[in-house]
Amino acid sequence: MTRYLSLYWLFLTQRLKVLMEYRANFIIGALSTIALQASSILAIWVVMRQVPDLNGWTYDEILLVYGLITLAKSINHMFADNLWTLGRQYIRSGGFDRFLVRPIDPLFHLLADRFCQDGVGNFLVGVALVVKASVALGIQWTLLKALMLVAAVVSGGGIFIALNLLTCVTSFWIVDSVPVTRLVFDNHLFAQYPLTIYPKAINILLTWIVPYGLASFYPASYLLDRSLGNLAWAAPVAAALLLFLGYRFWQFGLKHYGSTGT
Amino acid sequence: MSVIEVENLTKVFKIPQKDPGLGGAIKGLFAPRFQSKTAVDRINFRLDRGEIVGYIGVNGAGKSTTIKMLTGVLMPTGGSIRVLGRDPHRQRIDNAREIGVVFGQRTQLWWDLALIESLNLIARMYDVPPARYKQMLDEFSQTLDLGSLLKVPVRNMSLGQKMRSELAAALIHEPKVVYLDEPTIGLDLIVKERIRDFIKAECGSKGMTVMLTTHDLGDIEQLCRRVIIIDEGRVIYDGPIETIKKKFGKFREITFETTGLVPSLSLPPGCELLSTGDRKVTLRFDRIQTTASQVASAVMKQIEVRDFSLSEPDLANIVKQIYNGALDNGGVEPEAADARPAP
Repeated sequence: MTRYLSLYWLFLTQRLKVLMEYRANFIIGALSTIALQASSILAIWVVMRQVPDLNGWTYDEILLVYGLITLAKSINHMFADNLWTLGRQYIRSGGFDRFLVRPIDPLFHLLADRFCQDGVGNFLVGVALVVKASVALGIQWTLLKALMLVAAVVSGGGIFIALNLLTCVTSFWIVDSVPVTRLVFDNHLFAQYPLTIYPKAINILLTWIVPYGLASFYPASYLLDRSLGNLAWAAPVAAALLLFLGYRFWQFGLKHYGSTGT
Repeated sequence: MSVIEVENLTKVFKIPQKDPGLGGAIKGLFAPRFQSKTAVDRINFRLDRGEIVGYIGVNGAGKSTTIKMLTGVLMPTGGSIRVLGRDPHRQRIDNAREIGVVFGQRTQLWWDLALIESLNLIARMYDVPPARYKQMLDEFSQTLDLGSLLKVPVRNMSLGQKMRSELAAALIHEPKVVYLDEPTIGLDLIVKERIRDFIKAECGSKGMTVMLTTHDLGDIEQLCRRVIIIDEGRVIYDGPIETIKKKFGKFREITFETTGLVPSLSLPPGCELLSTGDRKVTLRFDRIQTTASQVASAVMKQIEVRDFSLSEPDLANIVKQIYNGALDNGGVEPEAADARPAP
């Protein structure tokens, strides 16, 4: 474990050196994610100027939900963005073989290969939104609430990564898994808003099947002392379970790769 | 004990069969049909410590598939492999510590990183002790002339510089077994020479066991005492390079470009006509019986020659002749061999 941590640190520092070399790229990348987020937030602001609340949720409360999902997403974006490119960049070109002749776990190698700096912009936006909402709403922070915040971000990141892993592993069979991943990943857009505004089916989908809601709506409810908030403690369990399944599926995919080599 | 032991090694790929059109695609989705293709067919060989063996064959003969199984990337369909007593696929990570691999056509370095940074990462992955790593860097700075390259990102390197860097990356942890897949592909002669000299010195001095696949008979001649020739997944020759050189090395091919149409030529003994084209004629001669200058002057007396070139017999040709029994009956009879149908 310490070996992998120190290896990751080395990968990360080398990567940062490259980013410093392409400083303009780094800044444009971070700015573009911030600009993208700004336009979505602007849309929320425009809507919320017209209506006082959305199914009982005020503008600042919605910002909290939005901020939490953005933080969880940024974890995935920074540390696991390379999953997206598994098929296109590694399997199709045969570059994946390089991971298999090295004495480290190939999944670790894939993830460590590229820390994605664009995620930093997302992370900063998320932090800003949560702080803004917390101040505006006058949230009374307790130890449990602080713990919940950390748990929500970390397990939310885990849920994002696990769902991406589960879908990206299909590239061992179909090479280009991006459409499959997108099909699942895009569901997180629902979780930018309180789930109570949606029909029941979407609620169930976002809570029990692709549980992005556990990263945003439920922890926000907990922080705001709303009903359903306690369900947020399920997030770490869901993340652990999905990551376990994702890793098993990855190993299954790897085995298939070993017999076909495509 | 041998370092590499391969017994009855077989790899069968299942290739999905697709009917044309949308209907075919849908049919393939629900009732896929597969065709089996045997890429490697019950091959056997052993490599001892310190051996440098050439593993050769034409494209699609099964070379890469074999190397992928030996390195642990692919799982064999049948038979067994032992590398230093391990099963390379089942014990992939343990096996990976002991081997070095160069895939000539694709890089194992990070495109954007300076070479020294790639090497830092690789050395850490293999847990090379820092003091030893420093020694190795010094050594490679000499033997591969890496000194000036260490700060250069791989993307800015020439092909030859890249290959020198790849070799450093593959050997920095001093592996016991080395697989080199086309290490000189696309390089010019001088760079090729340097790479060959390096491989010979580095692997020889450390007693590494090396398996070298290549299309370049020059690589084999200079590095290997033993060759394994594979065709259509089967080993068709495993033995000293000397035998191959004796049987096939005595022939050269010479091609003339002419100004006019080629009449029928009278040729010196030991020389025969391979093909004639429009303003072009290719001959083969036995270097023991005659010389290039004798052949050239005989031809030039009869026709006006614009240009000519000499070449060594190529691998595809040698493989074909082995098939036709060239190594069994003790002599190469190209005319008779060509007339026989391929098996």
